[in-house]
Amino acid sequence: MSLLVTMSLLNGLTLAALLFITASGLTLSFSLMRVVNLTHGALYMAGGFIGMSVIKVTGSWLMALLAGGGVMAVLALLEEKFLLRWARGNDLIETLISLSVAIIIGDLVLVIWGGYPRTIEIPEILSGVWTIPVVGLIYPVFRIFMLGLAILIIIALWLFLKKTNLGITIRAGVDNFEMVSALGINVRRLFTIVFCLSGFLAGVAGVVGGTFMMLVVGEDWRILTLTLIVIIIGGLGSLGGTVVGALITGLIYSFATAYIPEFSLFILFLPVAVILSIRPHGLFGTKA
Amino acid sequence: MGSLARRPDPMRLPRIPKSVLLLSCLALSAAVPWIASDYFVMMCIRVMYFGMMTLSLCFLAGELGVVSLMQASFFGISGYFIAILQTRYQIPFPIPPLVGIGVAVLFAALAGLLVIRVRGIYFLMLTLVLGQLVWALASQWASVTRGDSGITDIFAPVVFGISTEQSKGAFYLFQLVVFCGVITFLAALKRSPFGLMLRGVRDSETRMAMLGYPVSLLHYIAFIFAAFVASIGGVFFAYFTGLINPHSVSLTTNVETLLSAILGGIQTLFGAVLGTAILKTLDLVLSGITQRYLLIMGILFLIVIMFAPMGAAGALKRLWDSIASRPSGDGTPAKGATEDSFYEDTQ
Repeated sequence: MSLLVTMSLLNGLTLAALLFITASGLTLSFSLMRVVNLTHGALYMAGGFIGMSVIKVTGSWLMALLAGGGVMAVLALLEEKFLLRWARGNDLIETLISLSVAIIIGDLVLVIWGGYPRTIEIPEILSGVWTIPVVGLIYPVFRIFMLGLAILIIIALWLFLKKTNLGITIRAGVDNFEMVSALGINVRRLFTIVFCLSGFLAGVAGVVGGTFMMLVVGEDWRILTLTLIVIIIGGLGSLGGTVVGALITGLIYSFATAYIPEFSLFILFLPVAVILSIRPHGLFGTKA
Repeated sequence: MGSLARRPDPMRLPRIPKSVLLLSCLALSAAVPWIASDYFVMMCIRVMYFGMMTLSLCFLAGELGVVSLMQASFFGISGYFIAILQTRYQIPFPIPPLVGIGVAVLFAALAGLLVIRVRGIYFLMLTLVLGQLVWALASQWASVTRGDSGITDIFAPVVFGISTEQSKGAFYLFQLVVFCGVITFLAALKRSPFGLMLRGVRDSETRMAMLGYPVSLLHYIAFIFAAFVASIGGVFFAYFTGLINPHSVSLTTNVETLLSAILGGIQTLFGAVLGTAILKTLDLVLSGITQRYLLIMGILFLIVIMFAPMGAAGALKRLWDSIASRPSGDGTPAKGATEDSFYEDTQ
């Protein structure tokens, strides 16, 4: 394998890891509430910027990660409680509300942090490079860490959904929403919890993404587009599908960036078209 | 939604005054270059080309019940093709706009194959993604589109011996003719059997499918028609502004279009024009005062969606109905009749 191919492969995997973290939150809230939360990209970006400010004050990357995620969880909570609940049941209106919130947050970020590209400093322990044994390739430690983090989140989400009471309730709500509410479970609270979790994941992804890529106004829509492609390919509401979708999207984007940079995003039209024409609801999606 | 068909015309105006009204409206709009300032003429031109994009969105929303976030792609594709063909290859006038519209319609035919498979928020999501991919192409394919700075120096053509580049009035009149043509086309389409079938699909897709109508084909054709209308708007945009850049196909433009549609009232053609006029006036006023146009637009969008999803045209129509129903007074429950689900039975 040539160097470019290996590098593209590794970059694709790390991008896939990032996309998985953002897409998992989106797909989780969608499968329960039938709302495509278009604020997700804005939450990613705002989370990243908050992380950047926190690291400047405290110097701790972990604090930045938690602050980015936490603040975004609160923001998502407010959005769900005060705006989306207003239009509950009308999924189109809810989705459009989330779109308008995304525009508002996007512009506020521009007001607060300005339009210049920024990055978050890589923490001491994770900086530096690592020589991969077999191929003898040098690769940043942080990106390896990202892969690990994504795998950790996959496992944690999976355990949460399969083993905990709350997770089981959420899965039941996804499958048969009316039945769950008829059983006397507080569905409103369930919605809020899932929405918060989704916002938290977006904020975490923003801090992680801001550390290995740039943070710049406009990034929100790029990430949202990539995330939506991931779930269109993988199928809405399926965690396994999100993993596969993130891998396909990440790898194609990374190889295209290396070989045909002028079409690096547009080329994603291809997998979307192919998969949608074979399976209109994505690879692992079920008909809603 | 389904109340449109069974709703009795509350005005029952005699035929002649209505056509007189329409004609005087037309005469007034045709006289604008002579009676109004240049500034107002330019504003009208802007409203008309953006209006065509809004019209296409409203047509899809009203007849198909779907919200598209990629109408700006068709708008921009025709604009970009005009720019490329004219500035790079110096191809004479009638060809670039025709090719531009042709390519936009072709792209719609391709994208349409995907989007007709989904409805509701899936449609919104998929059109958002496709629109963003077109934006990415416009911004990244720098060797052809010149990237973010865009293509400049697109000159408006000489039509029938009149230079529309020099005379804004002539440009206005040409555009007015096309604009009226587009509205007539869409209105005729709405009234045609095709339009009725579309409305049937919107109200009950399964029933129409059961009756043997080709539901997907109807959707597909409607989508292409809408793209056609949007791409005509793009032609005038490119010629009037003389430049095209990725902003014209961006999500911001798409959201602006949606906002003007919702502002005016998403289900009517009149609402599309009204909404565009409102938004563009607002744009003009705000850009003089503040840099925070997007923020204000977002908040406005939020408020309109939450409190007035039927828009200004809906509010006007309600007002019109309440005025119109007062003198009739023949015992028909005209006021609030649409809200009353038993209205049909009580007749």
